[in-house]
Amino acid sequence: MDIHINTPEGTRDRLFSECLERRQVQSALVELFRRRGYAEVITPEVEFYDLFIQSGNPIPQESMLKIVDRSGKIMVMRPDCTAPIARVAATKLKNLALPQRLYYDQTVFRDRLAHVGGSREIAQCGVEMIGAVGDKADLEMVAMAVDALRCCGLKQFHIELGHAGFYRTLAGRMKMGPEELERLRSAIEGKNFALLNDLLESYRGEDACAALRRLPYLFGGVEVLDEAETLAGPCESLGRLRRLYGELSAAGYGACVRFDLGLVHQLDYYTGLVFRGYAEGAGAPVLSGGRYDGLMEQFGRRAEATGFAVDVDAVGACLTVETPRLETVIHYGPGLLAQALAVVDSRPAGSCELSPCRTLDSTMNLARERGAVRVLLLDSAGERWLTV
Amino acid sequence: MSERLRIALTKGRLQDKSVELFEAMGLDCSPVRNPGRRLIHTLPNYPLDAVLAKAPDVVTYVEHGVCDLGVVGKDTILERGGAFYEVLDLGFGRCRFALAVKKGFDFYGTYKTRRVASKYPNVTRAFFARKGMDVDIIKIEGSVELAPILDLADGIVDIVETGATLKENGLEPIEDVAQVSARLIVNTASMKLYKNKITDFLSRVERELGGEA
Repeated sequence: MDIHINTPEGTRDRLFSECLERRQVQSALVELFRRRGYAEVITPEVEFYDLFIQSGNPIPQESMLKIVDRSGKIMVMRPDCTAPIARVAATKLKNLALPQRLYYDQTVFRDRLAHVGGSREIAQCGVEMIGAVGDKADLEMVAMAVDALRCCGLKQFHIELGHAGFYRTLAGRMKMGPEELERLRSAIEGKNFALLNDLLESYRGEDACAALRRLPYLFGGVEVLDEAETLAGPCESLGRLRRLYGELSAAGYGACVRFDLGLVHQLDYYTGLVFRGYAEGAGAPVLSGGRYDGLMEQFGRRAEATGFAVDVDAVGACLTVETPRLETVIHYGPGLLAQALAVVDSRPAGSCELSPCRTLDSTMNLARERGAVRVLLLDSAGERWLTV
Repeated sequence: MSERLRIALTKGRLQDKSVELFEAMGLDCSPVRNPGRRLIHTLPNYPLDAVLAKAPDVVTYVEHGVCDLGVVGKDTILERGGAFYEVLDLGFGRCRFALAVKKGFDFYGTYKTRRVASKYPNVTRAFFARKGMDVDIIKIEGSVELAPILDLADGIVDIVETGATLKENGLEPIEDVAQVSARLIVNTASMKLYKNKITDFLSRVERELGGEA
């Protein structure tokens, strides 16, 4: 019989330094989340397909890994952590006082096209704040997003803020049908300047037209808020972003915060603030989140919700993690295990290990093969250091 | 990342046109014109490095962020999809996707499921899905015109420039599927991380394109 020796496309064995990267990021994030009062939730890896349709978060059907269970029900490998947590918060936690601060450290699964280098397993660490509305909840979330990337050890990164309400305000002023509006939204999301110009050509006279035309360019520092206000007039979403930025700057987060008013993805899902994190060295956002006040209602409990997820391995890949080097091998005699272990435990992890060999000669050989620098001999005569 | 931007150019005709455009903008493209054995071409008077690649690879490189920018045909974008900013229509490399059949053949006049051959199965699928029409799609790698001639397919969806090849083979385009031209695409993270450098480059391109029009 043939033995399967390969892993399925889009999955991989992670070895040594890749594990260290992932664990370092996870433990830094989990430590931060706990310190800020978030409690962990672990949800099943397999859930009903319907859950993710119900959530209103448009994960394309073909991106979900499906399983049919014995009763014929369609299940999926969890493609997202937010919907399951909303399910939990709306049902099992329904009698707990709000706001609820929850975090997760789980893998999500997405089916990808073959041979494009994408992963089917994505390690995510993230938070959800259920039942808190308003500027202060958004402020806490963005500050935490900055702290999250910083505590992982990233040096060059920023969090970019947008607001679903700004585009909605502008789009609401246009006399366009739903299909045309969707083309408009997609042109803005893709920063397709040419298509956007074509779409708006016949609407030149309308007052939101100039602002919409500029929307894909409205990203960068806080000055984009000024430009947006000049183009669109004062509106609530811009006011909120400005207040948020003022508070963030006062708290010392200003340098890590930028804006993109053209963040208009998943508008059926996001209801207010949206944000993404970018890090030098990563070709895609490493963090993404926002406010989805309509989500909880889909599961039968009306409550505002906001949160974000960090792509753990994308962050890990931007870090340089040192793998420990073996230096010392200990050859110990009868009755000296406790002493030998005390030495191992006092050394940096991975730099010192016990020899399982009976004779010193074999230990010396082993140390040579393993690339160690010296052997510590512990016997009745005391301890001696031998160079390999 | 380095101080320089990296752009992937689609090899062949789009590469020549891109080089012409960049030279008109004042960029010294001699390293691209005389590549030698080098694979990455450093432009001496602008912080831009160019690599040459096949069209679908341009999208792959930009999507993964190993190239910040790319020049690629809309045909490849439509067929392959992907997550990136498609910022500018460069105007050159113009042609169209069309549905073509044997001259005089009534493609739509039947309730039978039609069979369509194409090098671009996704474009073909999306086109007929918009019409709410079921078709059998056959992927052909080489000369698609052969499929209806050999009666393998009722029609083809393919790139048409002049229509001369179709005519020679007794085929005629009956419907446009999409317009195609070269596009400038940008990696989503690069756009944010290197905003100044990228907007400088984009505005130079726009200025040059605007000057032509």
